[in-house]
Amino acid sequence: MAAAPVRLIRGPASRAFVQHQRRAPVNARIPNRMSADSLIHVQELSKHFRTFKRREGVWGSIQNLFVRDYRTVAAVDRVGFTIERGEMVGYIGPNGAGKSTTIKMLTGILVPTSGEIRINGYVPYRQRRQYVKTIGVVFGQRTQLWWDIAVIESFKLLRRIYDVSQRDFDARMEHFDAILNIRDYLHTPVRKLSLGERMRCDLAAALLHNPPLLFLDEPTIGLDVVAKDHIRQFLRAINREFRTTVLLTTHDLDDIEELCRRIMIIDHGKVLYDGHLAQLKQQLLRTKQIKFALKDRTQAGCLDAFSRDGLEVDQVDELTYRIRFDRVKVSTSGLIRKILDAVDVRDLLIEDEPIEEIIKRIYAGEAHLEVSV
Amino acid sequence: MPTLTPISEKSGIAGLLDAGERHFGLFFDYFSQYAKVRVSYRGDFFISLATSFAATIFALSFVVVLFQKVPQLAGWRFEEVLFLYGFSLIPYGIFNIVSLNLYDFGNNYIIEGKFDRVLLRPISSLFQVLFETFRIESLQEVATGVFCMWWATRHLGLAWTPAKVAMLFFFGLCAGIIYISVFLILSTVSFWFEDRIGVHPPVWNVMAFGRYPLSIYSGMVQFFLCWIIPFGLASFYPSVRMLGRTISPQYAPLVPVVAVVFLTIAISLWNFGTRHYSSTGT
Ligand SMILES: Nc1ncnc2c1ncn2[C@@H]1O[C@H](COP(=O)(O)OP(=O)(O)OP(=O)(O)O)[C@@H](O)[C@H]1O
Ligand SMILES: [Mg+2]
Repeated sequence: MAAAPVRLIRGPASRAFVQHQRRAPVNARIPNRMSADSLIHVQELSKHFRTFKRREGVWGSIQNLFVRDYRTVAAVDRVGFTIERGEMVGYIGPNGAGKSTTIKMLTGILVPTSGEIRINGYVPYRQRRQYVKTIGVVFGQRTQLWWDIAVIESFKLLRRIYDVSQRDFDARMEHFDAILNIRDYLHTPVRKLSLGERMRCDLAAALLHNPPLLFLDEPTIGLDVVAKDHIRQFLRAINREFRTTVLLTTHDLDDIEELCRRIMIIDHGKVLYDGHLAQLKQQLLRTKQIKFALKDRTQAGCLDAFSRDGLEVDQVDELTYRIRFDRVKVSTSGLIRKILDAVDVRDLLIEDEPIEEIIKRIYAGEAHLEVSV
Repeated sequence: MPTLTPISEKSGIAGLLDAGERHFGLFFDYFSQYAKVRVSYRGDFFISLATSFAATIFALSFVVVLFQKVPQLAGWRFEEVLFLYGFSLIPYGIFNIVSLNLYDFGNNYIIEGKFDRVLLRPISSLFQVLFETFRIESLQEVATGVFCMWWATRHLGLAWTPAKVAMLFFFGLCAGIIYISVFLILSTVSFWFEDRIGVHPPVWNVMAFGRYPLSIYSGMVQFFLCWIIPFGLASFYPSVRMLGRTISPQYAPLVPVVAVVFLTIAISLWNFGTRHYSSTGT
């Protein structure tokens, strides 16, 4: 299935959508990021979980009732940021970093331990019922639809729950079908859908009430290339056409590269980086790498000289080596010459460090970042 | 249509009525959703109906057998006990119809994290948990109860005046609310203690105590069944009133009060508990 480029249809369908945009007067734009016009304000936000070690067995579970060894985990630790209307922000971090916990606080599921959230004028957990009307949420790990009933029945019930008029509902359904191709499985119960089919339906369900703000927790998890592409195109399209603000978490950095100009990197509950993806690359792309394959193994010893010069030499596989260097300090051509002089090279490749590597080093605490906002 | 400006909700009483009306309408949507699923598994429905009806008859036959051995129970005749038994089946049935999710609340919603989804919808979380599924088979308990009462009054020579019918509806509803509230209160425990088994089963067994005249129990048990877990209060005093027996004290007027108090406690605990909900790690 070739994914055709997505264009949102003008005409009857798009009348069902509002542009989520309030045009500011030209001169009234406040440059400050903390402007009152920001859609999401988060300040000093923390969530601590108290867990306890469960004892095993019958006697253990009786003990559990009375004596508990509590341990407190700071899943999110004094996080702060603001997001403007129409932004598409990637929220990334290794497993257990606190991404889902943040999303759950922003969507009003969890009450923060401390700190402030203000979104679109609401405090999510306090004005939950009104607030959730203005957001759409997709958890890639778990469907928001009713398990046993046909997808279309779920949609109809959601229509009633969100008080969407029949006209808008029909227009939107047609529209989602045009982009996500969901028509074929509308009459299948959710439990019988494949992951990719389910995710499309979940996405459509989250947007049925045309919310100005969309939270996505790993929306592409477990999807094949085509499905991922579909979803990305869909997100790009709604962001472009309706200025829908999107905050998404993911482990797939292609999602980020294709969708988000801005990323936030979080680990151990703390924000490590908040800024443009391009800036992050620029800041860290001082590092280049040369990969080369040796003709035979006997020459490997000659590479020690490079290590002694303070260059990082890693063995990638049996005959392939990689040298990372700071291109400001080391001249690329000089280094290549040195390598060719020292060993017999069968193949050689110069590249920027892939973004995955950069992120990996950030997670590992090797790369040092200024948190720039 | 949602816009970027906060949606102006009516406040105060008007807002409450508005929300009430919306939820009332949604009740039918939820119910028809459930009905569609049940209709598509018709065979399953009839088997379940038959087994639950058999269970009701089996429990009822205990009363019949009992009265073949003894002529009276603490001054109560067979027909009178049958009336009380029948009346207690009404709140029991009402409770069973909506209890399915409550009974498994800790497992299903808290530990499995299904409550996330509930909190993401712009309607009451309690409404969703209660009405997301039903056990419509339990209507047979209500029907059996009504039948027992009808049979008993015929043999007792009591007439069903409109006032009595109204009383039956009113007290039946109050008792139903008491039953549901008690289990709601128990369910909210799951917000703080995530234990799989829960505290429902022992209390569930207490319901059977409400089917017999309170006067057969000792003072302590009576107190417990009236004021701690008021299943006894809910069915005994209204039955006494409807049967026209003179007994003191007459606590029937307190039944709606207790219903309101328990429901208020249950809803408050629920709302308080949702703030403690910690979701799951995945
Ligand atoms: N309900 C909970 N109870 C106790 N601890 C929790 C709970 N939810 C999350 N945690 C803990 O909080 C930390 C952050 O979890 P979170 O789910 O936010 O991570 P994440 O960034 O979404 O990770 P992943 O990429 O694996 O989804 C983890 O250490 C996790 O064990
Ligand atoms: Mg997560």
